[in-house]
Formats: sequence, structure tokens, C-alpha cells
Amino acid sequence: MLVLVLGDLHIPHRVASLPAKFRKLLSPGRIQHILCTGNLCTRESYDYLKTVAADVHVVRGDFDDNLVYPEQKVVTVGQFRIGLCHGHQIVPWGDPDALAMVQRQLDVDILITGHTHKFEAYEHESKFYINPGSATGAYNPLENRVIPSFVLMDIQSTTVVTYVYQLIDSEVKVERIEYKKS
Amino acid sequence: MPTTPQLGSPPDEQDKLLDEALGIVKMQAFQMKRCLDKGRLMDGLKHASTLLGELRTSMLSPKSYYELYMAVTDELRHLEIYLVDEFQKGRQVSDLYEMVQYAGSIVPRLYLLITVGLVYIKTKPSLSRDVLKDMVEMCRGVQHPLRGLFLRNYLLQCTRNILPDVADTEGSLESEESSTGGTVQDSIDFVLMNFAEMNKLWVRMQHQGHSRDRERREKERQDLRILVGTNLVRLSQLECIDLEKYIKTVLPSILEQVVSCRDAIAQEYLMECIIQVFPDEFHLSTLHSFLRACAELQPNVNVKNIIIALIDRLAAFTQRTKDEGGIISTDLQLFDIFSDQVALIIMSKPDIPSEDIVALQVSLINLANKCYPDKVHYVDKVLGKTTEIFNKFNLERIGQITPVGKELMKLLKIPVDNYDNVLTLLKLENYGNLLDFLDYDGRKALAMYLINNALENETQIGNPEQVDFMLGLISSLIQDQADQPTETPDPEDFAEEQSLLGRFLHLLVSEDPDEQYLILNTARRHLGAGGNRRIPFTLPPVVFAAYQLAFRYYSVKDQDDKWEKKCQKIFQFCHGTISALTKAELAELPLRLFLQGALAISRIPFENQETVAYEFMSQAFSLYEDEISDSKAQLAAITLIVATLEQIGCFGEENHDPLRTNCALAASKLLKKPDQSRAVGTCSHLFWSGKSVASGGEQIKDEKRVLDCLKKGLKIAANQCMDSMVQVQLFVELLNHYLYFKKKGNQLIEATLVNELVEKIKEELPNLENNEESQQISKHFTNTIDHVKSVASIEEHYKDIAV
Amino acid sequence: MSFFGFGAGPEIELILDGEDTRNKVEVKNEDGKIEACPLYFDGETISGQVKTTLRKGSKYEHTGIKVELVGVIEVYYDRGNPDNFLTLHKELARPGDLLQNQLFKFEFPNVEKPYETYTGTNVKLRYFIRVSISKRLSLIVKEKQILVHTLAQYPDVNNSIKMEVGIEDCLHIEFEYNRSKYHLKDVIVGKIYFLLVRIKVKTMELAIIKRETTGTGPNTVNENETIAKFEIMDGAPVRGESIPIRVFLAGYTLTPTFKDVNKKFSVRYYLNLVLVDEEERRYFKQQVEQTLKICLINLYMCA
Repeated sequence: MLVLVLGDLHIPHRVASLPAKFRKLLSPGRIQHILCTGNLCTRESYDYLKTVAADVHVVRGDFDDNLVYPEQKVVTVGQFRIGLCHGHQIVPWGDPDALAMVQRQLDVDILITGHTHKFEAYEHESKFYINPGSATGAYNPLENRVIPSFVLMDIQSTTVVTYVYQLIDSEVKVERIEYKKS
Repeated sequence: MPTTPQLGSPPDEQDKLLDEALGIVKMQAFQMKRCLDKGRLMDGLKHASTLLGELRTSMLSPKSYYELYMAVTDELRHLEIYLVDEFQKGRQVSDLYEMVQYAGSIVPRLYLLITVGLVYIKTKPSLSRDVLKDMVEMCRGVQHPLRGLFLRNYLLQCTRNILPDVADTEGSLESEESSTGGTVQDSIDFVLMNFAEMNKLWVRMQHQGHSRDRERREKERQDLRILVGTNLVRLSQLECIDLEKYIKTVLPSILEQVVSCRDAIAQEYLMECIIQVFPDEFHLSTLHSFLRACAELQPNVNVKNIIIALIDRLAAFTQRTKDEGGIISTDLQLFDIFSDQVALIIMSKPDIPSEDIVALQVSLINLANKCYPDKVHYVDKVLGKTTEIFNKFNLERIGQITPVGKELMKLLKIPVDNYDNVLTLLKLENYGNLLDFLDYDGRKALAMYLINNALENETQIGNPEQVDFMLGLISSLIQDQADQPTETPDPEDFAEEQSLLGRFLHLLVSEDPDEQYLILNTARRHLGAGGNRRIPFTLPPVVFAAYQLAFRYYSVKDQDDKWEKKCQKIFQFCHGTISALTKAELAELPLRLFLQGALAISRIPFENQETVAYEFMSQAFSLYEDEISDSKAQLAAITLIVATLEQIGCFGEENHDPLRTNCALAASKLLKKPDQSRAVGTCSHLFWSGKSVASGGEQIKDEKRVLDCLKKGLKIAANQCMDSMVQVQLFVELLNHYLYFKKKGNQLIEATLVNELVEKIKEELPNLENNEESQQISKHFTNTIDHVKSVASIEEHYKDIAV
Repeated sequence: MSFFGFGAGPEIELILDGEDTRNKVEVKNEDGKIEACPLYFDGETISGQVKTTLRKGSKYEHTGIKVELVGVIEVYYDRGNPDNFLTLHKELARPGDLLQNQLFKFEFPNVEKPYETYTGTNVKLRYFIRVSISKRLSLIVKEKQILVHTLAQYPDVNNSIKMEVGIEDCLHIEFEYNRSKYHLKDVIVGKIYFLLVRIKVKTMELAIIKRETTGTGPNTVNENETIAKFEIMDGAPVRGESIPIRVFLAGYTLTPTFKDVNKKFSVRYYLNLVLVDEEERRYFKQQVEQTLKICLINLYMCA
């Protein structure tokens, strides 16, 4: 089961479009679910995700005006409960202990947040945390050099294999991180 | 022979008539063959004549007549084969050529004459010229259009392999000429004469019968046109027609016939036929005369299609030739010729529809693009001509969906597609003028087309002049237009188009920061006039671009000693730009932009950093206080302000204190008690991980103020929240905060405090109504306890917590 | 020709000199049999021999044997009154006995044969040679037809025929034939220009009409016969069209034009141009007959 995790596109506020090389990778039909950490900003970006996979979950980012998007959301994929939240509401931003609070509240195996525009994937107290970064590499004042990135989760029973795609010097680099539910 | 004069009878009647005729043909053919087998030629010819008599009918539609013709001529093949055989055995040909002319009926007589004539030529090639001439001349006797067309078609078919095709010079010596029986010139004369006659017959069909049958007649004529066109095909197959002959003899004669027949259907078809059948090299050398003829065609001829066909063909040809490394003679000013002739044609045809005029221009541009890709001024010339014509016709506001509009759109899109670089449009002086003829929707559609092209090609608009020009071209998206509809546009469509514009703004990029600053100012000037509906879409990209520019200056601070001033200027620019959004009665968006600004400023230590950052933060606060009233929005806003402030370390105590105090105050003033409790809890971070100049960039870690915040939150929850469910939920959340700070090392958070809260929750939990919500709270609590348990062994701060 | 065995008369055989080698023309007899007759021209000597063969070896008494060359015009409705325009005779034997088979030679030197043999509807002109052996009560006769063709040459003046005809505001044509006089194996070549066409022409034919005239004054009898009907155009032309005409005369049975042959008869030929419109109305028949008397068909062009 392939789950695409991405967010913080910030089109058109901060960038013109998703990198062409990412677009190429995200061909329709391969991915079952999309979990978006927010800041799609426009309807077109949402429509685009819908063309990649039919099942799209979005939470609200600080630059989303769409009031329909929830602040946080729990999605069950296979045997995993996955929490989704943009993260601008979680103070301090990106703080693992603060994120852990949300994890406990949402009672999830995996917590996905964004906002920092910096890819992260780590295990903490046997829970898994993912930040897919910004798929467009959108500007963030707190991050010197934003690398465009997104994450693909391959969920097989109790295992999640996470692939992170990063556009470094206009080359797509892929890394693999495995997480096993205890 | 039936006497009814009109062409054709009802369809079922047709089948019957045709079947009868075919029956007779079959029977006569059978007898003819029998006679021939027995060597009784004269009797055979009589049967041939009888079967040919069926072609005298006037009752058949062209379609049925064609079938009959095919059957008849098929049978004539047998006769031809027999005759060739006979003549090879030594029979006199000339006798027979005379004998078949005794036949009293003209149609059978001429078919026989042609059949025998063919054999005559085959056995005596030296007579080709005379016999060909005789046959084509004698065919004049059939003036009935349908019968004449088919008879002459038969002539054309029979002679296709025996037309003399040797150059005139080769045939000029008496002896050689007699051996070849003529030169290519004789063949040309022959075919041209046949062509002229067939065309006349074909045209004449139009004027027969009732006017109410016109449509059917035109349809029938279209069905028959290939018969006429075959003449031209035949000419094109003559290998000895060289360019000179084509220029001097062939084309002038054809054009003469085409022009003088004054029939639109014929003219349109034949002109296209000429284009199709003759080689491109010929066309290149005869452009003038061909195009001049175009100007002389009937008013209702679609000259546009003809010229476009020619242009497209020649354009493809020149491109092909170039691709193959060939050279098109440079003195052939293809473009100029077409341009002049097209203008002439437009002048000479006052009734020509505007859309056709534009369509012609479209093909001219295509020509210019394909043949002279480097000569942008050709394209501009066409645009200028078109503008001129529109002005002359007093056209304005051309609807995008009108025929003219569609063509105009096409015209304007070509340079975009062709260059895939919208900047090339800068070189086209007339582009903007022409674009202005479109109506609002048209201009907008084209603007979006331009933008999409720029985005696809990632075309950088790299200096203020280019920005000015481009934004001028797409002004229909940027500013209100005098001719735009009065009703409010569909919000989704509007958002889509404005978002597209927003994306485009990211292409306004220069490598040089100073130039980039000018670009942003130029863009701001254009976009600022967009009105309250547009600027929420268009200004944020400018603001973010400006923030990034400030970072760029910071990164080159060693090379630019004025970088601090410039940064300040940029943030002033941003301030003004965001304020414009405020004036447009927006609150949340400018608030976020100010916070983003504050964050950016906090990372760029320029001279006036703190003051400017404070200004941005205070602007955000003002917006929060004055403009945001919705309680949910308030909570979101104050959370964001707190989160932002938590990140900023550039404030001295005199600024940081009022800011964080204000945050705490604002948090405690929220309308809903649970919101208050949570916001106050959130504020606690300002006093722990928050930084200021006073703390030397280190976390403040004010243990007391943190505890105060948490206590206050707890107090609000315990004393002021009536809903026990919410109350317990807040307790669990606050428990987590206690644990958070305990873990971070806040000594004031004692285990007893935590244990008390745990006990309280344990006490309250069972009293909650069992539902999904209470289960969630319970789970949250369990998770929290589990967390404590799991880390208690390694986390010394947790050691006194009793779980 | 003998009666009741009154001594069967001798057989007569008439043999013309060079008969085997001479040109022959097939003609139809009155009883419908086709006969090949030797062909003579004006001024040619006619010579030959007469052979008498006795039967049963007996002698035959006669009152004289003669040979005659006769040219005669017979008008069918006036058979009793043939016009012998030529009668030449030679005596082969004076009255006496034929005792044995005998051979007589004869010769009509350089005979003037003014007219051509002709078989028409109402009139016939023919030549024959007659041998007769006379007796008091009987006559034995043997006849042999010969054919005469008069030879002529192209006249020095043989203009083309060109004429403009028409019906006002309806049809106006101009036609042209290459000659006014044609030989019997000739080709009529011509052209028709359409100057104005307001009728819906369906077809156009060229007819060759032969007119045989016998008798004179009030007793004149005209016999018209359409020898040929030749379609030269199909469909309706428009103004400015020119239609070619080409008619091979060899395809038809024709005679030379005869003008007032021995004041007994004439044979003339006419070209008749007929236009038929879509309602089957025929144009020009009258006009053509009256105005185009011209077209004499004349003479042989024999070597």
C-alpha cells in the first residue's frame, strides 16, 4: 500500500509550481492514499493531488484559507493509525516533545506534521514521526536552504518503509527508512 | 433513348434503370466477344456500338451513370485487346479508324473512336500527335455535361500511357519527331484542351434544372470533380514538363481557364488541385501569377483556404529543404510576396469576411515562423497589417468566440507557441495593439495562455522593462477593465485565474538583487491597482519574494555595504504592501504576512532589526485586536502569534516583555474558557524556550512564569469550565504540559503537583458519560501515563511521579 | 426462246472482250438477283464475240443475226414509253442457215455513253447489249447488261459553304462545310458555331437527303429519301461552342448528282441540319431544305 505524504506547497504564494521532476514521479495510479500536511493554498493544488490518487486527506496549514480542512486528522491505513497535523499550532514548532503530546492525544502510531519545510523521520518512544518537508521547496524564513521533498510510505502489515524523495541540485535522491510497529 | 430531360429519377427507380442497362451491357458484351472470337470484327463492333448506346441515357444520377460507365469501359477493354492483336497480325488501322465513324449515334461513335484511336497510336506511335488532336477535338460533339465528362474521362484514361513525353528539342529533328509522333508540347495541348472542355461541362451542370435542386446539384458536382482534376494530375505526371514550360505554358493556361469559368466550386477545387498536384519548386517560382489569379476569383470562393493551403505547403517545403541541408534561394522573398499578394487579395475582395482575413494572416505568420524563424519583424509586420485592417474596418472588442475572435486568438497564440519564450513578444511592437482588439474574455484567455506558456518554459522575466511589458500584456488579469462584466465573477474561476497570475509572479526574477528590487516595485505598482478582490492573490507572492530578497542581501552582505539600508527598505516595502491588504479589509492574511516578516527580520541582523521586527509584531497584534472577532480565528491567531514570538530572539527585554505579556493577556481574554485555558497553556512556552537579547539568545527558562501560566490554565479549567468532559480533557492536556516542562527541567513543577492532577483525572474519568469522546480522553490519559512509565526509568525528572 | 419444239434454236453466248479482267459492279436485277456487271466508261470501245451453238446437230434457218448496244431510261409509271437514248447495231450475219456452231466478232468503237447507270425509286437508266437471231415467226435474243459510270473531275471552283441562320432571339448558328461538291467516297468536314442558344437543344443531326425528280412541268414527281441520319451533337451547347462535323460518305449508298438526264429525271442531294430540343421539336428542317440546296454530291474521283 503506497501512501504519499507531502505538504507545504505554498503555490502561488511562495513558488510557481511543483518541481517538474516530482510531477513526473507522481504518476497517477500507483498511489492509494495521499496525506497532505497542508498549505496547499489553492484549489488547483488540491485538484492536482486528486489526479494522483483518489483518496486525499488534507489538514489545514497556516496559509490555507479553506475552512473545510480540519486542524488535525487521524487516518487508519492497514494496521496503522496515522495522525496528521500541519504543525504550526504545535509550540514550539517541530519540538519532538511537543509533537509527542499530540501523538498521545491522537493515539496514533505515526504522526505526520509539516510546517518546518524540513524533512524528518524518526522513532520516538517507539512511535514514528514524519515531516515530509515542503514538496515545492518553498521559502521558509527559519530554514536557510529548503530542499524540496516528499515522502512515500509503503505500508505492509506492521511495517512501514518510508522513502524520502529529495531534490538536491536538481537531482532526485531517494532514501529509505524502515519502521516496525511494536 | 429516354426523352425525359432531367437528370436522374428517384433512388429505387435508379436501381431499376441501372440494372436494366447493366443487363443490356452484359448481353451485348457477350455477343461482341463471341463475334470477336469468330473473327467477325464488323459484327463485334456493331454489338460494341449497341452496348455503348446505353451510355446515351439521361435517366441516371451521376452515381449510377458512373457504375454504368465502369461496366461499359470494362467491356471495351476486350475490344481493345482484340484490336491490338489484330493489328499486330497486319490489319489496316486507318480503315477501322474511319469505319467506326460511320456509327450514327455520337456517344457510341466517339467511344469507339477513342478505343480504336488508342490502338492506332499503339501500333503507329508516329501518328500520336494527329490522332490525339483529332480525338480531343471530336469529343466536342458531346455537349451534355454528364455524358461529356465521362466520355472525356475515358479519353483521358485511355491515353494515359501513350501521351508523348519527350522534350521539344529532342523531337525537333524531323526524323525523330516522326518516330515519337509528337513531343510533350502536344501532350500538354491535348490535356489542356480536354481540361478546358471538361471544366466547361462541369461548370455547366450548375446551371441545369430547377434552382430548388441546387444543393443536390452542387453535391453531384463535388462528386464529379475528380474527373476534371484528373487532367491536372495527368499534366503533373508528364516528366518533360520542366519549370520553364510550367511557367510559360501550363500554369497560365490552367489559370486562364479557372479564372474565366467564373464558377466558385470549380475555382476553389481547381486552385487547390494545382497546389496539390504540382511540385513545390514550381509553386515557388509561380507565386505571383498564382496569387494574382486568386485575387480574380469569384467573390464567394474561399480564397483563404486556397492561400492557406499554399502557404502551409510551401512553409513545410522550405522547412524540409532547410532540414535536409538544402538552400532556398534567398532572392525569393517568399514572405514578402505572400504578404503583398494577401494584402492585394483582401483589397480586391470587399466582401471577404474578417475571420478569413485573420486566417490569412495566421497562415502568413506560420510561413514566417517556419521559413524565417529568425526574422521576428516578419511576424510583427503581419500583426501590424492585421491591426491596420481592423482599424480600417473599425473593429473593436472582438468576441473571443466569434469567428474573427477565434482566428485572432489563433494568430496571437502562434508567436507564443512558436518561440516558447514570451519575451520574444517584446520585439513585436504590434502585439499589444492587436491584443487590445479582443474583448475582455478574449484578452483574459490570451493572458492566461501567455502565463501558462511562461510557466511551462520557466521563462524568466528578468528586468523591470520586461516586467512592465508583460504585466501590461496581461493587464486584463491584473486590473479592472473598462469592458469587463458588471456582475461578480464566479469565485472559483476567479481564484483559479488569480492563482495562475500569482504563480507567474515567481518568474519575475533577476540575478541582480538591485534589479530584483526594481522588478518587485514595478510588479507592485501594477498589482496594487488590482482592487480588493485581486490583491489577496497577487500581493502575497510579492511580499514573499521581497522577504527572500532581504535574505539574498544578507547573504551578500560582504559585497554590498549598503545591504542593511536595502534590507530596511525592503521590509518597508513589505510593510506597505501588507498594509494595502489591511486596507482591503483583510485581517488574517496580513497578520500572517506580518508574522512571516517578523520571522524573516529576526534572522537578518541589520541595523534597525529590532525596531522593524517590533513594528511587524505590533502590526500583527493590532490586527488581532482590531480585526479578528471570530473566537475560533482568535484562538488560531493568538496561537500563531505565540508560536512566532517563541521563535524570535532579536528583541530586547523592553520589547520582548510587552509582547509576551500581551500574548498572555490576549490569551486570557479569549471568549471561550477552554480556549483561554489552552492559549494560556501555550503561552507558557514563551517563558521557557522563548529567547531575547537579554537572555543572550538562550532560552529564557523563567520557571515561575511557566508555572504561573500552567496554573492559570488549570484554574480556568477547574473553576470556569462547566462541561466536565471538556474539563477532564483540559486536565489531561495540561498534565501533558506539566510533564513537558518537568522533563525540560523546570524545578518548580513538583511531583506532587503532577500527582494531584493525575489523581484528579483518575477521579473524574469514571464519571464521564461513556462515549467516543470520553474514550478518547481516557486513551489520551492512558497514553500519557504509559509515557511516564516507559521513560520513568531513564528520565530522572519523572522519578517522583506516582503512576 | 422457242415454242413447242419448233426446232429448238441455237444457244447464244455473248462474251465481251476482257470481261474476266474488267471491273465489275454488283447490281440488283429487277427480279432481285444480284449480278456482277462489267463496268464501262464514256468513249470506251465495247467489243466481244457471239457464239452460236446448234442443238442436235441440225441446221437452223434465220432471217439475220445482229448485235445491238442500247441505252434506255425507263420511268416506272410510264413503262410503255421507254426512252432509248442510245441504239447502235451491227449485223453479224445476213439471212441464211446456220449449219454449224459459229463465232461472230463485233465491235462498237469509242461509244459515247452520255449517262451513268442509275436505279432509283421511280426511274432506271441502264445499258445493255442484245444479240438477236430472227426467224419469220420467232426471235432468239440474248441480253447482257453493262454498267456505265461517268467520270468527272473536281471542278475548279469548289467553295466551302458557310452560312449563318437562326430564329430571332432563340437560336443563332453559323455553319461551315469544307466544300460544296463531294465525291462519293469523300468526307464532309465542317463546323457549327453557336452564336446564340436559348432553346434547350437535346441533339443535332446531319441528314443526307436524296431527291429524285422525274417528269417535267405539271407531271413532275419528287421522291425524297433520307439516306443518312448522322448525330453530330449530344446535349445543349452554350454560346461560343463550336461543334465539329465529319461524315464519311463511303458509309452510305450514294449516286452522283444527276441534272436533268435526257430531260427525263434528276437526282440531287441535300445536307439537312436538324436540331431537336428537349420537347422533341425539330428545328431547321425547312430552313435547311430551302436554303441549302447547295450540297451537290457529285462524281467519282476515279483514277
